[in-house]
Amino acid sequence: MTSRLGAAVIAAALLSFVPGGAVQAQETYKIGAALGLTGYAAASDRAWRDGQMLAIEAINAKGGLLGKKIEYIGEDNRSEPQEAVVVYRKMMSNDKVNIFASGCVSAGNFAAAGAVIRSETPMVLCSILPPRPEEQKWAFSILPPPRFEMEARYGWLKANSQVRKIGIMHDPTPYAQLMKDVAVKTAQDSGFEVVAVETYKPDDVDMSVQIGRINAAGGGAIIKMGQGGSTVTVAKNIKQLGLDTMILMASLDDGVPLKAAGEVLGERFMFVAPPVQIPSSIPDGAFRKAADTFLTAWREKYGDRDPNAGARGWDSITVIATAVELAKSYNGPAVRDALEKLPPIQGAFAKFNFTATQHVGITENPYVVGVLRDGRFQVK
Amino acid sequence: MPDAVQFIQSLVNGVGVGLIYGLVGIGFCVIYNASGIVNFAQGVFVMLGGMACEVLLRKFHLPLPIAFLIAVPFVALVGLLMEVLVVRPMWNRGSPLFAIILATLATQIMIERITILTVDEQPHTFQEFTLGGPLKIGAIAIPYQLFWIVGCGALMVGLLWLFFTRTRAGRALRACSQNREAAALLGIPVGAMLLLSFALSAALGAVAGILVTPMQAIAFNSGTPFGVSGFIAAIIGGFGNAAGALAGGILLGVLQAVAIVLLGAGFKNVAALTALLFVLFLFPSGLFAGLKPKAH
Repeated sequence: MTSRLGAAVIAAALLSFVPGGAVQAQETYKIGAALGLTGYAAASDRAWRDGQMLAIEAINAKGGLLGKKIEYIGEDNRSEPQEAVVVYRKMMSNDKVNIFASGCVSAGNFAAAGAVIRSETPMVLCSILPPRPEEQKWAFSILPPPRFEMEARYGWLKANSQVRKIGIMHDPTPYAQLMKDVAVKTAQDSGFEVVAVETYKPDDVDMSVQIGRINAAGGGAIIKMGQGGSTVTVAKNIKQLGLDTMILMASLDDGVPLKAAGEVLGERFMFVAPPVQIPSSIPDGAFRKAADTFLTAWREKYGDRDPNAGARGWDSITVIATAVELAKSYNGPAVRDALEKLPPIQGAFAKFNFTATQHVGITENPYVVGVLRDGRFQVK
Repeated sequence: MPDAVQFIQSLVNGVGVGLIYGLVGIGFCVIYNASGIVNFAQGVFVMLGGMACEVLLRKFHLPLPIAFLIAVPFVALVGLLMEVLVVRPMWNRGSPLFAIILATLATQIMIERITILTVDEQPHTFQEFTLGGPLKIGAIAIPYQLFWIVGCGALMVGLLWLFFTRTRAGRALRACSQNREAAALLGIPVGAMLLLSFALSAALGAVAGILVTPMQAIAFNSGTPFGVSGFIAAIIGGFGNAAGALAGGILLGVLQAVAIVLLGAGFKNVAALTALLFVLFLFPSGLFAGLKPKAH
């Protein structure tokens, strides 16, 4: 009797130590995300995550994906590539995620891509695609191609100003470097002369000297690549240098720094904006319907918080959910194949057209040039 | 080659940034003198000063002087709490200095996370103290805020000098900096001096943060670059030497500006670190070691 009781106690103890994750792994579809929740990408990646979580709540409320609830695992990579590798490994080996939907830290996603593809886990990214073809096979980008940003900025500048000499300022992130290369390469064909290319670090406290160099070289506008507070610092520095005609055109970014920079320079400050950031610019139809669905949920939870990165996060989950349903499977290779066969998806941020040769889903330029007018973002 | 205007303008900008580095450097010196501890969370006081002031202006619509008068004591209180909750327990247990220094670094990360949770992750700024500008002298532009930085910087250095030379507490702090054991034997409450040094150092950082925020954006993670540059400024000036740290900061700011003008922005930190190595090799006690006053 005693030995039977002892065996029962041991069995109960063993059962209680069966990892919850193992049971859960069969019950949930796990989406992992390496996110820059701290560091330079915090503003965009937090909003990206919050948009994703809203979409997951909506899908789970309707019963989940192929009968499974979605479980979201977000890990902070501190906007650092080294940290990204650590959290990717953790999510692959400990959490056993089914797919990645990581944030905008390009260098972090690049650093981990090799290990991720070996585990045959697809990646739907906020950032640009990793550089190697074998990595690109498993990666899909929700970000518009960098040339779209440049086309929007050059297009506005050429049509609406006399400025033909420009300076470029960029930070060292892969996305900003890539966009700088595009900007330099396409400048001449667009009718511009690049008189100076200046670098900065996102946490630099002053960029007056770089701006002074652009001004001294005859630049009438600064095309800035890079996000966050550096845009505000550049705007402030332009004002402090008394450059009363210098135009500043900034990258796609969160509304807070864009608004702060607009308050400093007025309408001399412009930025690349997706329609969802200036909802009045969205035409009626499928796009407005998709954007309104997202914006209703977003505003209900976050009020007047900027929806730009949140919309992309929301769309990343929509893309994944559509692929899983198309694949009728949670299996990584099957979902990857399905991502290449998706029908066009109208998202809240833009329309996505993924194919076997097109892993950057946005193929039509969604951008407008925005400005702060009467305290609100409007199309310039 | 840059022209003279561009060169002079960059020197002006370098002095402005360098003064802030110098004020942060003084904060390092105050704590180091009282305890031998290098407080790697010094930069976070700069961030907290700017952030607290911005929140008071934006959310509570307080006038700038009132926001200033609340923000500085608030950050000083954070400095006090850091000393009481983190440094003092380790100090009393006789923990090695490097462990205490690492604990200050951990505290910085913790304060950054708390800032994200209580304020947000976004960059913030507020208007210059004096609107308009800049002052143009020929082609050289001097932002009005730079005058505030120079003026407040000079005022703080003057007040610190008075504090260290004319008050009992200041003299006691200086005595601690020269020999803590002897100071304790003479009845100076070394523990209280450590507490005072953290509050003073945090307040200095807060003032620097409030002065610099109108010239840039400040976010939860803005403390690190200020901390690193302030640390280099303090080493260049001679660690523990407040006047030297201020001079070291200005030198560092000017050196970085000149490096950008002559070599490009990529060389800014190369120049700063080269200067640091140069000083460490040739002037291990700092360029201005002779400026350090003796306690009487």
